[in-house]
Amino acid sequence: MDGPGAPTIVFLGQPNCGKSTLFNALAGHKAQTSNFPGTTVQHTHSEATIGGRRLNIIDLPGMYSLHPSDPAEKVALRHLFLERPDLVINVVDASILGRSLELTLELLEMGRPMVVALNMTDLAEKRGVLVDAARLAARLGVPVIPTTATHGRGIKELMEAAVACLDRPCRGPRPVWSSDVEREVDAFAARIPAGFPCISDARFTAVQMIESGQTFCDAFLGEIDPALKRALDETRGRLGTPRGKPAYEVIAAERHHLAQKLFEECATVRRRLRRPWSERLDDVLMHPVMGYLVLAGVMLGFFFVVFKIGGPLETVLLKPLAAVKASIAAQLGSGLFFHLADGLLQGIGGGAAIVLPYFLPLLLLMALLEDAGYLARIGFLLDTFMHRIGLHGKSVAPFILGFGCNVPAIAATRILESRRDRVLTSLLIPFIPCSARTTVILALVAFFLGPWGALGFYAANIVLVAILSKVLSGFLKEESPGLILEIPTLKVPRPGSILLKVWFQLRSFLRFAWPILIAGSVVLGLIQALHVDAAINAALAPLVEGLLGLPRALGVTLIFGFLRKELSLLMMIQALGTDYASLPSVLTSGQIIVFTVFISLFIPCLSTLAVLWKETGRKIALLSAGLSVSVAILVSLIVRLFV
Amino acid sequence: MTSLLQVEPGISVQIVEIAGGEATRRRLFSLGLHIGDRIEIAARGILRGPVLVRHEGSGVTVAIGRAIAQKIIVMV
Repeated sequence: MDGPGAPTIVFLGQPNCGKSTLFNALAGHKAQTSNFPGTTVQHTHSEATIGGRRLNIIDLPGMYSLHPSDPAEKVALRHLFLERPDLVINVVDASILGRSLELTLELLEMGRPMVVALNMTDLAEKRGVLVDAARLAARLGVPVIPTTATHGRGIKELMEAAVACLDRPCRGPRPVWSSDVEREVDAFAARIPAGFPCISDARFTAVQMIESGQTFCDAFLGEIDPALKRALDETRGRLGTPRGKPAYEVIAAERHHLAQKLFEECATVRRRLRRPWSERLDDVLMHPVMGYLVLAGVMLGFFFVVFKIGGPLETVLLKPLAAVKASIAAQLGSGLFFHLADGLLQGIGGGAAIVLPYFLPLLLLMALLEDAGYLARIGFLLDTFMHRIGLHGKSVAPFILGFGCNVPAIAATRILESRRDRVLTSLLIPFIPCSARTTVILALVAFFLGPWGALGFYAANIVLVAILSKVLSGFLKEESPGLILEIPTLKVPRPGSILLKVWFQLRSFLRFAWPILIAGSVVLGLIQALHVDAAINAALAPLVEGLLGLPRALGVTLIFGFLRKELSLLMMIQALGTDYASLPSVLTSGQIIVFTVFISLFIPCLSTLAVLWKETGRKIALLSAGLSVSVAILVSLIVRLFV
Repeated sequence: MTSLLQVEPGISVQIVEIAGGEATRRRLFSLGLHIGDRIEIAARGILRGPVLVRHEGSGVTVAIGRAIAQKIIVMV
């Protein structure tokens, strides 16, 4: 963080307006971008020096309005209200100008210095919308800078305008509503007592209070200042009753009309001669038959690409590892030092040779789907199936992210509006085989039973998630509120943006997961050298030998499955004292499947548990741990009976 | 007047009333779907799936689940 001297600039805009892309172009490799509404679920901070000035710049999650309906939007609102940034850069999607301006008008009401970045001007022109930026700037009273974030156009001008605004704050005039609405709002603002915790000023606070409906603040206000609460209710009544709708809708309608008027004054719409390619492509992608065929094709392709790239790459990378191990054994014998050195080698090598071959292609494909905007479309296509298991289409995106890594997937549940949906989705995500478990599944099931066996394993896993969801939703009393999901325009994904995203994920793996992998592996070496493994194995023998019918030596690998799932494969080989290729001589194929099932289902890894705890609370995190252990034992037993 | 659920793909309609709760109404307004606006049914999900609507003015596309679509009253 910088000192108090550096001014703070926040990027704020509606979801999917290109805010993060703009921020990235400015800040370098910091924020993640995607073509799915609400993927920035927390704020990203960066520093930049522009025109010799140091600036704190912050990318906030997208928000449709200043009245948030999901936790990701609340993050943005809290920041805006509490941190009081020196300047707001309001990023506006020029291709849907009318709607985007509703947030701009709300920000003008708040009265913080503001610059508007008129983004996606290229897309708008393709759609036949030509926006007169100068006229819009004159109407709003703040600078409006046309930008095309994806090509880096207008960014220099935008930052010049921003720096100029820091010296001479750009504040536009407050938008004016119908006279009777103005009268009521002003009258109520005048009744707010001095010393009331106002955001911005009394007038803005008055509007926020009138609009904020049935929140706990209402009840709280009734307790501390019954007279003010009465005045608030009367104001709401006088605003709403003549128009036959609630007061918040009256104000929303005022903004909507102003935004429409601005749009008509500042933009010209040419009739398009033909529909844009993205809409025509959507006819296929969203088609009741073809849409699902494409989806099945994409998923199968996804699986085989990861399998075809990962498998051979792993073999290539594992070869030198075995050679190094042999030379270590020759030099160090089989004492403590050998076990430590071997643990270190397995940790470093395992990360590189087992995780990367599968993790990287998976990350690349995931980034591709996300940036193209296909992820939201999968949400539409699968909504009906999700409904049957007690969820809706918006949960699809966190689930799919879960195949990469459960940790960001659980963070992504913040895009869901209701706590019920967030809890249910977060409880199910740990059952989605992440890339760490994919390495185990592919290495064991696919290697010894073929790709179709692994595919069957995945299919069975998805069926299990569906059954669990159905069962768990039976325990939840509330109803899911149902799907309302914006489907962004299809875009040609840009390699730069995809590589950035992959790098972002990879960096966090290298920084956080790899060290744990190496440390865990060294600890296992130590355990073996000191013969503690025998004690652990003996303690776990009733579970491992009795219930699961696996060799007793595998007990110790379960401990490491908790730290990092991908460790289990290494640990298994190390614990059995064999090498990868000769596994079938030690285990039957039935045992390999039981082991894989158990290791992929039992207990979310440490990082997943930590993020669950943070996002949903201790109770749900412990419930998740208990649930996964019981499900793992139950399913492994069933598998053991039938395989 | 009919519910959004009864409308076939390709048909253009005007939103007359949103009979849902406050949270639903707020969400739809903030996404740019207002009473009086014209929308086109762009697609329908299979097996009682959601409805995909495209706003005729802005081009904003929104997927709406059945339960909510049922409460959106429209007029051809």
